[in-house]
Amino acid sequence: MAEAASGATERADAAALSELRAGLEAVPAGVAIWSADRALSYANQRFRRTFEFPIAAGVSFDAFVGDLVASREWLLPGAPEEWERAERADFGRDKQGDYVLADGRVMNLSQAPSEGGGMVQTLTDVTSVKRNEGALREAKEAAEATDEAKSRFLRAANHDLRQPLASLKILIYNCMREADETHRAEMLHAMSVAVLIMEDLLGALLQIGQLDAGRIQPRVTSFQLSQIFERLDIQFRHQAQEKGLRLKFVTPRGTVATDRALLERILSNFVANAIRFTEVGTVLVGCRKEGRLLRIEVVDTGRGVRDEDRERVFEEFYRAAEERRGQKSGLGLGLNIVKRLADLLELPVRLRSQVGRGSIFSVTVPLGNIWHSEGGEIEISEMVGGEFAGTPVLLVEDDDILRRSMTQLLQRWGIEVHAAADEAEALELGRSGVAISLIIADYNLKSRTGIDVVRALRQQFGVETPAMIVTADAEPRVLESIREEGLPVLIKPVSPPRLRVLMHNLLFEPGLIFGSRQ
Amino acid sequence: MSADLPPVPIGSMIPLTGPSAADGAEFRKGMIFAVEELNARGGLLGRRFEPIFADTCRQTAEEVVAAARWLIEKHKVHAIINGYNIGAQNSEYEPIADAGIIYVHANTLLQHHDTVMSDPDRYFGCFMADPADYWYGPGFIKFISWLRDSGQWTPNSDRLAIISGSKPYSIVIAQSMAAAAADYGWRLCFGPRIIQTPTNQWRDVIEQVRETQPAVVANTHFYAGDLAYFQRQFMEKPIDCLVYLQYGAMHRTFTDIAQEASVGVIVSSVIGLLRDDMGKRFEARYNARFGEGSTAGIGCQTYSNMHHYAVAAAMAGGSGAPGDFEQNRKVAFAMKGMIYRSVQGVIRYHPQWQAVQPYPVVTHDPSLGMPHIFYQIQDHRRPLSMIAPEPYNTERFVLPPWMSGRRPAAKPAVG
Repeated sequence: MAEAASGATERADAAALSELRAGLEAVPAGVAIWSADRALSYANQRFRRTFEFPIAAGVSFDAFVGDLVASREWLLPGAPEEWERAERADFGRDKQGDYVLADGRVMNLSQAPSEGGGMVQTLTDVTSVKRNEGALREAKEAAEATDEAKSRFLRAANHDLRQPLASLKILIYNCMREADETHRAEMLHAMSVAVLIMEDLLGALLQIGQLDAGRIQPRVTSFQLSQIFERLDIQFRHQAQEKGLRLKFVTPRGTVATDRALLERILSNFVANAIRFTEVGTVLVGCRKEGRLLRIEVVDTGRGVRDEDRERVFEEFYRAAEERRGQKSGLGLGLNIVKRLADLLELPVRLRSQVGRGSIFSVTVPLGNIWHSEGGEIEISEMVGGEFAGTPVLLVEDDDILRRSMTQLLQRWGIEVHAAADEAEALELGRSGVAISLIIADYNLKSRTGIDVVRALRQQFGVETPAMIVTADAEPRVLESIREEGLPVLIKPVSPPRLRVLMHNLLFEPGLIFGSRQ
Repeated sequence: MSADLPPVPIGSMIPLTGPSAADGAEFRKGMIFAVEELNARGGLLGRRFEPIFADTCRQTAEEVVAAARWLIEKHKVHAIINGYNIGAQNSEYEPIADAGIIYVHANTLLQHHDTVMSDPDRYFGCFMADPADYWYGPGFIKFISWLRDSGQWTPNSDRLAIISGSKPYSIVIAQSMAAAAADYGWRLCFGPRIIQTPTNQWRDVIEQVRETQPAVVANTHFYAGDLAYFQRQFMEKPIDCLVYLQYGAMHRTFTDIAQEASVGVIVSSVIGLLRDDMGKRFEARYNARFGEGSTAGIGCQTYSNMHHYAVAAAMAGGSGAPGDFEQNRKVAFAMKGMIYRSVQGVIRYHPQWQAVQPYPVVTHDPSLGMPHIFYQIQDHRRPLSMIAPEPYNTERFVLPPWMSGRRPAAKPAVG
C-alpha cells in the first residue's frame, strides 16, 4: 500500500517536474538553476542558445563563467579576469546587469538566491528596449542642443552685428554732413559693404547655431587672403579712425586653403577685439610663412592679456575685469566663436601678449594651390569685363521708349549711361561735373538737332568729346549735313553690332571711323 | 555611304586672304581633314559631309555677315564651323539665328556670352568652342603669381605694366589683367595704356614703361609681326622684368622676325594643340596629309569643332537645313550635353554661355575644361616650351636671358 502510495507520489512528482520543465521552456527568457554546490541543475533551451559554447547539466558555475569569458562573445565591463573573479564571488547574491553581445543584442542577466543556498539566473533580451531608450535620449539631447544653439545664436548675433552696425552709424552720420560728392560716394560704398558684411554675418551666425548642433560642414577652397583683408579694412577702417587708431593691413601674397567665410569670421573677431582693447597706437594685420603654412597675425598695442587669463579669454562670456566694471560692450563671445570655428577648421589659434604692451592673436592656415584660387570672376559678363565697362556715355534722345531701350542696351555692355531727353537736360548733366567719354545724340530732337546739342556740349566741356548721331531720317540731305559736321551717323533701328563697332572706333581707334560709316 | 543621299553641306567662314590668311589656310586644312576622316567612316548616318569655304578676308563685320548669308542662302548649309574671325562683333549671329542653323567658332570673345544669354532661344545654335578673351587676364595673373609663389622666379617688386592694343580683344584682356592684379599681390605701375595698333613703333612706350621699373610687362596686342618688333625694340635696352606677349607671339612669324630676341618671352593661348599622345598622333597625321610646313596647332581648331559637331548631329538623328529649327535644336542639345575630349583639351559647353570653360581658371578639373596653356620661347629654332598648367606642361620655366638671376627669397612672406 505504502509502496503503491509512494509510486503514485513519484509519478505525480515526475509529472509535476515534467510540467515544470515544460513551463520553464515556455518562459520568454533564459532560465538557469544552480544548486547549492554551484553545479547547474537545469537550464532551458533559450538560456543555452544564448551562448556559443555547450552548457551541460552538472557543469560548475565557475567553469560556466570561465567559458563565458573565454568565448569573447560578451562585452564585459572592465578587465575580463576581474569580472570573472567578481562573478564567482557573487554566486547566490541578488544582482543584475545589462550586457552587449558581439552580435549587437543587449541581454539583461539577473540572478537571485534560491532556498537551500542555490541560485536562479534569468536572461532577457532587452535589445529593442535599450534601442528605444537610446533614441529617446538622443532626441532629448538634440532638443536641448537646439535650444542651447538658439540661445547662443541670439547672443552671438547681438555681439557680432554690433561691429558693422557701429560702422554704419558713423558712416550715416558723416554722410549726412558730407557735401563733397566723391566723399559721399565713397561713404555710400562703405555703407553698402557694411550691409553686405552684416548679411554675411547673419548667414555665418546661422551656421554657428548649426555648428553647435554639429550640423555644419566647412567648405574648404583655395583663395587669396587679400580678398578677406580688403573686406576687413572696409569693415573696421571707420571704427579705428573714430578711436584715433591706425589700422594697417599688410596685404599678403599667396593662396590659402580653408573655409573662406569662417576664416573671415575668425579674423573679424580678432580685429574687433584689437580695436576695442587698444586705446592708442596701431592695429596691424599681417602674415608669416611657416613652411607650408601661413600664420595670420593681428598685432595690437593695447592693454594686453595677463598670463592667468591666456586660456580663459577663449571661454564663453569671458570679459576682462576692466570691461566688466566699465560695462562697455560685448558679451564675451568673440574669442569663443573664434575658438569653436578654429576647432572646426582644425586651425591652431595662438595668443602672445604682454600686459601694457599689446597682444598678438594668430591663426595658422595651410597654403593652397594658386591655380585653384577662387576669385570673384566666375559670374563674368560684359557688364563687368567688357571693353566699355565703366565708360561714361551721355545719351540724348527725346523718345522715352527709345531712350529706355538704348539705355538698357548700353548698360548691358557695362556703360555708365547718363540719359537726357533734350538739350537743356544734357547741358544740366554736363554742368553737374560728370566726365563724359562719348556723346550719342538723336538727330531729330524737339526744336534742335543732335548736331546742335553735340556742338553745345563740346563747347561746355571745352574739349572735342567723341560723338555720334543716330537718326531715323535716312534722307541723303540729312545724312550729308551730319557728315559735313564730321560726325559719324547710324540709322535707326540701330543694329547693336554696328553701334558697338562705331563706339569702339570712336573711343579707341578714331582713325578707323570713316571706314565704319553706314 | 549611300551615293543616292544628298551630301550634308557644312559652311566654313575663313580668312583665306588678308592679314590672317596663314591661319585661314590651316583652318581650311583642319576642316578638310576632319571631313575626310568622317566621310571615310560613313559620314553622317550614311550622308557625306561637304565643306564649303567662304573667304572673310579682313574679317570685318560686313565681310563676315556677307559670308554667312552666302553660305546660308546659296549653299543651304546645315552648320557653319570656323576657326576665328575677329572684328565681326557678333554681327554674323543675326543671319545665322534667323536661319536656325548651328554655328561653332573660336572667336574668343566675351560678348558671345552676353549675346547668347540675352536671348537663349534665338541664339540656341551659336557655340564658342574656346574660352572668352576675358579669361586671359585672371589666367595670366595666376600664372605669374604661381611662378612667384612656387619660388621659380623672384620678382624685384610687385609692379605690373600693361600695354594694350586698340582692338576690343586686347582691351578686354588688358582690363581683366588689371582687375585681377591686386587680389594676387600685384600693383599696376603702368596702364593699361592703349596703343593704336597695328604698329611696329614701340620705343616710346617701352621708355615710359622703363621709368616705372616693373617686375612684369604684358603687351596684349596680338599681331605676330608687331609683337616681334616690340620684342626687338625691348631687347635694345632690356628692362629687368618678365615679358608676356599675347597670342601672336606663338606664331612662326614672330620668331622669324624677332630671332634670338624672342628667347625668354612668355606667351599663352586658351586654345592650343596638346603635346600628349593624342596631340602628337594628330600632328603626325596632319603633317603626313598636308606636308611638314603645316601648323597642326591652328588646324586642330576646325578639325575638333567639325568632329564634335558630327558626333552631336549623329546623336540627334541627323542635321538640319536652314529653317529646320526643330532638328537643329536637337543637335544643339546634344552638343551641350556632351563632354568631348578634343586634341586641344575638353570641349564642354557651359549651359548658359554656350562657350567652353577654361582650365584651371574657371574649372579646376582638367577633364572639364580647355587648358589655358602658357608657353615660353626657350630656343627660337624649336617649338615653344609648354610650361603650365599641370598636367599638360612638358617643360619648366627658365629665367629669360636678359634678366638678372636672383635666388628665391628666404625671408618670411610678410608684405
